[in-house]
Parts: sequence; C-alpha cells; structure tokens
Amino acid sequence: MTFVLRMVGRELRASWRRLAFFFVCVAVGVSAIVALRSVIQQVGVAMAGETRALLAADVEIESEQPWSEAALATIDGILGAEPGLSRTRSIETPTMARPADESKVVARVVELRGVEAAFPFYGRFVLEDGRAYDHRLLAGGGALVRPELLTQLDVAVGDEILIGDRRFEIRGVILREPGGGIGAFSFGPRVLIDYADLLETGLLTLGTRAERQILLRVPEPRVDALAAALREPLRDEFVRVRTYRNTEDRIARNLSRAEDYLSLIGFVVVVLGGIGVWSVTRVFVQQRVRSVAVLKCLGATSRQVLAVYVAQVAVLGLGGALLGVALAAGGLASLPSSLTAQAAAVAGVEDLSYGVTGSAVVQGLGVGVLVSLLFALGPLLEMRTIKPLALIRWNLITAAARDWVQWAVVGVLAAGLVALASWQAASWEAGLWVCGGFAAVAVVLHAVGRALVRLIQPLGAGARFAVRHAVLNLARPGNQTRVILLAVGLGSFFVIGIHAVQANLLGAFALEIREDSPDMFLIDIQQDQQAGVRALLDERTGGAPNLIPVLRARVTGVDGQRTRLDSARAVRRRGAGREFTVTYRDRLEANERVVEGVFWAPAGPGRPEVSVEESIRDRLDLAMGDVLRFRVLGREVRATVTSVRAVDWDDSRSGGFMFLFSPGVFDQAPHSFISFLRGPAETTARARLQRDLVAGFPNVSVIDGLEIIATVRRILDYVTLAITMVGGIAIFSGVLILVGSVAMTKYQRRYETAVFQTLGATRRSLVTMLVVEYGTLGVLAGAVGSVGALGLTWGLSRHLLDVEWNPAPLVNLGGMLLTTLVVGGVGVAASLDVLRRKPLATLRAE
Amino acid sequence: MIELRNVSKTVLSGNAPLTIVQPLDLTVSSGQYVSIVGPSGSGKSTLLGLIAGLDAPTTGEIVIDGVEISGLDEDALARLRGRKIGIVFQFFHLVPSLTAFENVLVPLEIAGAARAADRAAALLSEVGLDERAGHYPAQLSGGEQQRIAIARALANEPPILLADEPTGNLDSANGRHIVELLHGINRSRGTTIVLVTHDRELASGTDVTLRMRDGRTERVSPMPARQEVPA
Repeated sequence: MTFVLRMVGRELRASWRRLAFFFVCVAVGVSAIVALRSVIQQVGVAMAGETRALLAADVEIESEQPWSEAALATIDGILGAEPGLSRTRSIETPTMARPADESKVVARVVELRGVEAAFPFYGRFVLEDGRAYDHRLLAGGGALVRPELLTQLDVAVGDEILIGDRRFEIRGVILREPGGGIGAFSFGPRVLIDYADLLETGLLTLGTRAERQILLRVPEPRVDALAAALREPLRDEFVRVRTYRNTEDRIARNLSRAEDYLSLIGFVVVVLGGIGVWSVTRVFVQQRVRSVAVLKCLGATSRQVLAVYVAQVAVLGLGGALLGVALAAGGLASLPSSLTAQAAAVAGVEDLSYGVTGSAVVQGLGVGVLVSLLFALGPLLEMRTIKPLALIRWNLITAAARDWVQWAVVGVLAAGLVALASWQAASWEAGLWVCGGFAAVAVVLHAVGRALVRLIQPLGAGARFAVRHAVLNLARPGNQTRVILLAVGLGSFFVIGIHAVQANLLGAFALEIREDSPDMFLIDIQQDQQAGVRALLDERTGGAPNLIPVLRARVTGVDGQRTRLDSARAVRRRGAGREFTVTYRDRLEANERVVEGVFWAPAGPGRPEVSVEESIRDRLDLAMGDVLRFRVLGREVRATVTSVRAVDWDDSRSGGFMFLFSPGVFDQAPHSFISFLRGPAETTARARLQRDLVAGFPNVSVIDGLEIIATVRRILDYVTLAITMVGGIAIFSGVLILVGSVAMTKYQRRYETAVFQTLGATRRSLVTMLVVEYGTLGVLAGAVGSVGALGLTWGLSRHLLDVEWNPAPLVNLGGMLLTTLVVGGVGVAASLDVLRRKPLATLRAE
Repeated sequence: MIELRNVSKTVLSGNAPLTIVQPLDLTVSSGQYVSIVGPSGSGKSTLLGLIAGLDAPTTGEIVIDGVEISGLDEDALARLRGRKIGIVFQFFHLVPSLTAFENVLVPLEIAGAARAADRAAALLSEVGLDERAGHYPAQLSGGEQQRIAIARALANEPPILLADEPTGNLDSANGRHIVELLHGINRSRGTTIVLVTHDRELASGTDVTLRMRDGRTERVSPMPARQEVPA
C-alpha cells in the first residue's frame, strides 16, 4: 500500500504537466455543471420564501368569463362559512393605452389590472421613487405603470394616458409587483388601476379576453381544504382554483427539471473531456511501457501497477474537478451586477446570491472523477499485458487480442455513462436518450472524419516533402487525429448547426412578411363598431378589410356513432376541454379545403351544422352526422358535424378555426369581430392608424405583427447565443485536447525534427509541414462540423420546425474557415518550440 | 541454486518455428559466478530471460531455490523476482521519473521491507553514489546509471543476480568499475551471479563460462583471459 501511494506521488510529480491539459477539459465541464446547478438551486431557495407573493394570496379563484350567478352563489356560500377569511377582487385584461396628448401619435397594448384596496395580501410593490405602495395612489383615476411604457408612449410620471373611455394620471413607476406570476407570457407592460375605474373604462364588453380573480387570505391550516371545497362544485363553471402551494410545487418541479436538463449540457462537455482523458491515457501508457516492465521486473504485481495508475487518474480527475469548482465559483462571482439584477427580476425575487452550493459541488466532483476513471480505465488495463521481457526483447510487445476484460471495460464504460447521465438528468429515459444521441452523433462524426482522412491519403504520395510528411503525420500510429476531429468537430457542429438553423428560421419569417400576409391584428371589434372600423381601414389601407365574426365556445358533449361524451369533464379528458374561438360563414376560405363530408350550400342548411378541423375529428373520433354540444355565452348549442376541413395554418389572412358553424346559428347571439390586415408599411402612417383606431374605438386592441416578429427574433437571438456558448465550450474543450495532444507527442516530434534537421531539412520546410498538418486537421474538423450541421438543419427544418430548408453556405464556409484558423493556429503555436531546440541536444538526450 | 532441465525455447518467426534455445540442462550452485558468452542472436539473452521468469520455456522446467517456476503466473513470478532475483540490464532501465535514491527504494517498497530508506541509502553508499541520491537518471552518466541499477538489483538481498551485458553500453573505465563491483558482490555476499557478456575481461573473472552458438551451449570454463571472444 505504501508502495502504491508513494508511486502515485512520484508519478504525479513527473507527469502532471503533460496530463494537465486533459484534466482542464474535465474542469470545464465540471464548472458548467456546478455553475448551472448552483444558480438554479439558489433561484429555488430565493423563490421558496416568496411563492405567496407570486400569487399575492393564499388561494386564487379565477374565471375567464364574467362570474355567472350560479358560480358566485356557490363561492359566496362556501366562503361565508369560512372564519377568519379576507377576500378581494381583481381583473386583468390586455387592452390599448395611448397618451392623452393628441400630438403624440402612438398607441400600445398593455396588460391592465384593476385591484381593490386590500390587494396585495402578500408581497410588496417596489416603486421607482422609493415610496411605499398605497392603494390611494390609484384612487380617482390614478395609474402605476411599468417603466417600459413611459418610453413606448413617450410620457412621464404626471402625464395622462387614455385607456378605453377614461383618462388616467400616471402617478408612479412599478419596478416589482406581487401577484404577477413568473416568466408568464404578456402582451405588453403592466398598468395598474383601481378596480372600480376598470369597470368604468367600458372595456369589458362582450367577448373581451379578461381574467377575473377573487383572491383569498385564509388561516394556513385551511388553505388546502378550502381550495378542495371550492374546486369540486366550480369545475363545470370553468372556474380555476389554485393555492400558493400549487404554485410552489409547480415552480419546484420546473426548477428541478431545468436544473437536471441544463446539467446534461455540462455532462456532455465532461464526456468530451473524458474522450480527451482516454486519448492522453493511451499515449501515456505507451510512454510508460518501459517503466511498467521495470516495476514488474522488480517484483511488482499487475494489480499493484494498475493501482498506481488508476489512483493517479483519480487524483488528477479530482484535481480537474476541483479546478472546475473554482472556475464556477470565480465565474459566478464575476457576473456583472446588471445581469444578476435582470435574472432576479425574471425570477420574480428581490435578490439572488451567486455562490456555489454544496450539492452542486458534490455532483460536479462526482461526475468529474467518475468520468475520468471510466475513460482512463480502458487504456490503463493494457498495462496488464506489458511483459517484463520487453526489457530484453522489444519486438515482443504486441497488443494482446481483445479479451473478455476489455469487453467488460467497454460494458462498464457504457453502463457507467448511462448511469451518470441518468443521475444528472434524474431520469433513466433522459439518460439513455442523451447517451444514445451522443453516441450516435459521435459515431457519425467519427465515420465522417475517417472518410475524410482516407480522402486526403493520396496527398501522402505527393511530391512535396512538407505536404507528404504532414499527411503521413495525420495517419501515423498513436496520432490524435480522430480524437481532435471528434472533439473539435462536435463543437463546430453545435455552433455552425445552430447558426444555420437560426438563419433558416429568420429566413422563413422574413419570407412571410415579404408577401402580402397580414401584419396587424384587430380584436374585440363590437357589432356596432363594424361599419366605422371598416370605413377607417378602407380609407387607410386601401383594401376591403375582412372582419371575421368570433365567439368563444367550449365543447360540453358529443353524441356520436363512435364517441359518446356526456359532460365537459369527459371532453376535457379527451384533450378538447379548452375554450375555442369559433366563427360562422357560408363559404370556405382560400386556406381551407374539405377532406370529408359535404360543406353546406351558400344559402345555409336548415339546421345548425358545424365543420371541424382534421385534428379535432381525430381527437374526438368523429363521424359525419355526429352531434356536438357547445356552451356559448352560457347557452347550450347543438350542431351536427357535416364536414371536416384541412386548414393551411401558414396562410394567416383569413385566420384558422377548429370549429366553423353554418350561418344562422349565432345571428342573434351577441358577438365581436376580429380582423387580419396588412398595415401601412411606413412607420408614421402605421402609428397613426393604430392611434386613430384606438381613439375611435377604445375597446379595440391593435396588435402589431411586426413587433411580435421583432420579439420572436429577440428570443431566437437569446437561444442562439445560449447554444453558441455551449458549442463554444465544446470547441474550447477540443482546443484543449489539441494543445494537450501536441504537448503529449512533443518528445516524439522533437526527435523526428532533430533527425530531419540533421538530414538537411530547413526550418522553413519544417514550419510548412506543421502548417499543412494542422491546417488540414482544421479543415477536416470544420468539414466534419459542417457536414453534421447540414444534416442537423435539414432534419430540424423538415421534420421539427416545418419550414423550408435552405442551406446556408456562408454560415458553413465561415464556420469551417474559423475552425481551420483556430486549429491551425493553436496546433502550430503549440509546436513551434520544438523547432527552437538544437538538434544535437535532442539526439544526445535520446 | 538454479536448475534447468531439458529447457528449450521455440518462437514463430513469420510462420516457421525458430528454436532460439536448443534443449539444455544446466545447474548453477549457490554462490557460483557464471558467464554466458557468444555471438549476437545465439540465444544468450533469451536464456537469461527464461531463468529470470521473464519468459516461459517451450519445453522443460526451471527450478529456482527449489521452486519450479514455469507453472507460475505473472504475479507469482513478479513476487519471486522481488524476493530472489535481482536483474541488471545493458540499457540500465532506470525509471526516468524517479530519482537515483527512489529507483533503489522501489523494490524495497514493493516487498514491504522495514527501514527501506536506510537500506536504500546504504546501498547507494556501497556503489559510491550517495552524493547523487537526488539526481534523475538523465542527470547521471552511463556508468553511474549502471551502478544505481546494480544497487537496485541488490536491494532485497536476492540470492541470485542476473545481468544482461552490464558493461555493453559503457566505456572501458566505467566497465572495469562495474566488473569490480560484481566481483565484490559475489565474494562478499555470496550472491549467485549469472551474466551475459561480450566483455572478455568480465567473463575471465567468473567461475564458469558457457559459450552459446545457434542456441546450443558448450562449457569452456574457466575462460582464458586472453582468448578471443567472438563478436
């Protein structure tokens, strides 16, 4: 034992410099795991104490419809019997706001919320000027707004804005608000006003999308029981009841899922490092053959020798992992405060601490050491086959045939990696998928790399000394070509691939805007506003505007030949329980065609009929003649299914509807209209149209498609940046492996260089040799990444994103060029000192 | 005591069997000093490797101190060498990453010997290199490296010392130093020594000399000092 431990120390002293690069690879991956896990865990800790503030209440009862008499009676009945309870009401609705100053031609969508004096029960508002929030700030036409609205409308605190029919004075700026949820999708910036004022805006007309909430504060022990008591009778009223604890559970679940999946990214980087470890250990074992033979000659058993080197790898792996932890801690500590503040705001918490957490450190260290050991084990086991006879007869060192031990090692490695990935993802399925995917990509890249190396082999027979030897170097025994191609290729594959996908996606969006597709959406146009809106649009856009009547409906039953559902609950279980926006027409639109049944004649059928979209037919297994029951505005409507339509969802001019009714069904029912139109291209005219529409019809919301596209573009940019960073880390690992393998084979190269120099090779031709060798390696790695990226974009575009596939040759070429420069530059720079040594010194040392 | 009975070694050269060592019997008694001479490729080093348990014979048996070794596995052989056999090579084969002192220390540690450091220091002093203890092999001359190698071979006081052309890579002055060192070891410690050599001065000082040619042995001992040793 003493022998083993002492030998570990001595071996480390001698070889750590050569091995260090590879364990830096492990460090990079470990730091990714530790940093990602730490941040998310701390977000979780910070939020755990604030989930009540996210809801601003213990229990929230919410309805998208105006409260029905029945529902209110039920709620009042249950709450009336509850001691120690406080309640308050709130309404949230997206609508338009514009400056009262007529000279400012602008109108924007905002998320309006009206609250009563008791709001919030939990959490607190943070106002920009540091004042404490008080409901009196809202009383008598006051409004608190998010800072971005001030910029968008070009207004300041003290100015007035118009919402619906009313004027509001901006009395303050909200930096943080309770009850806002987290990361929720929003149409626009928050505007907070008094509950009673909201009712007076005239916005809550028929069909307006608005969420009405009743917030409750109840003694802690009653929270769950009360929620359960409310949930059951309100289910058929489409009223949702949730507690702060539901929110807490959901957040915890999402956070832990995010933590696990993000850690997989780190895991993939660690595995790349592991490939580096495998490669260095292989070369290392070759260099240690003689020492191992000597130890065996001196009486050391195979087991003792193996123990020395396995322990050495474990120590280095631990060292690398510790370095990774240090990198993570340093990285987190040096995050710019603007970024941390933004992250805290997104998470909806006041402050986040950015240190590494204990459990993240343990996981990082564990993964680092285990991956190092797993990948080093294969090459190390070859030490078993080293015979001490090698010291007398060199020619007897031959690789033993694959025995069961080596196959066992492969099995252990595979099982170990799957186990590690599953541990990191906290799911066997995810672990298997990640390992399988990684193995598949690696095998493909490996095959491509091999084919490319073979392709350039003929150059090895060329006439020029430098080129010939450069190519031969790539294929000589103990070369690192395959490993570098795999690591660097994988990195450039990620980066090039994701940029190409982004280019494809942006191209698809730009294409849609270029045509005559609509870029402005009007919602909530009332029946009596039809003529006015039509006239205004006619004048400003020069085309006959298409106003589509819409109602909101839920399916409450199916009386069919194959399907019988007798309640809304049963329908919900079949996945069709949501509220649908429906319309009626006497004809098909250009983006629709009938695939089953017969569409009604223009005159309309005598009875109520409905045409369903394909996916609805499949989901509910409908046949022609089946009767569907709907609930529309509190009434039950029955309609017979007479046709099935295929809708081209890409063509958005006429919208797309899951349920299309025959004319006459809703003629007498109150409903609103929406319109898709192509707005003026010129910015001022566009802003003027929006403002005039809102001024004339305050309840109509105008959503600008161009802004949505800009938002999508921004989100895409973030996603691309994030994935580019991951790919960048992979490329960085690849470069480290490259530097490491150059350092590792330096002794051999030094000797060869010296021999070449004695034989008359000039420095110039030796440098050319290096440039050609690493330049070729770089081109190959770039090509491997590019070919992979082409495949990735093709697959994603065709099968997942459903956009047209356009190869992005510039992205591919640029990526290849960059990879070539990086690999070539790093390879040559790391090798140059070989040329500085005098040949005699090298030859003597050998 | 070393005993070889009907020992031969045949290898495959391409597809044809090639017998490097023809069947032979050999007995070396305790304390004897034996040299094996002969031209390159005559099978000298192979024979030495067989005695050291570095290779297994094709036929016959080898008995070291009463233990038949051809049936032992790799690890048992390693342990046997650790206790009973010290080996010295033509190319020294010191571990380059260890200092002179550590190279001598390693076999003592492997054997789990008590007071290993003291004994290693004493051995270094015995070969006259106590001042070079902290140097790495690359910082030592060939003669110094070979003395370290001999000190290492003697670390566990093995009854048998095997040497494969110990002076083959040294100049004459350093070679003479090694010759004297081995002589002294045989005389003062009573260590059985079998060495393979081209060096007639080294061979002339031994009790018995075997000449090998084409895998066969003939006894020419004691060898006259001035006799031409085939190169």
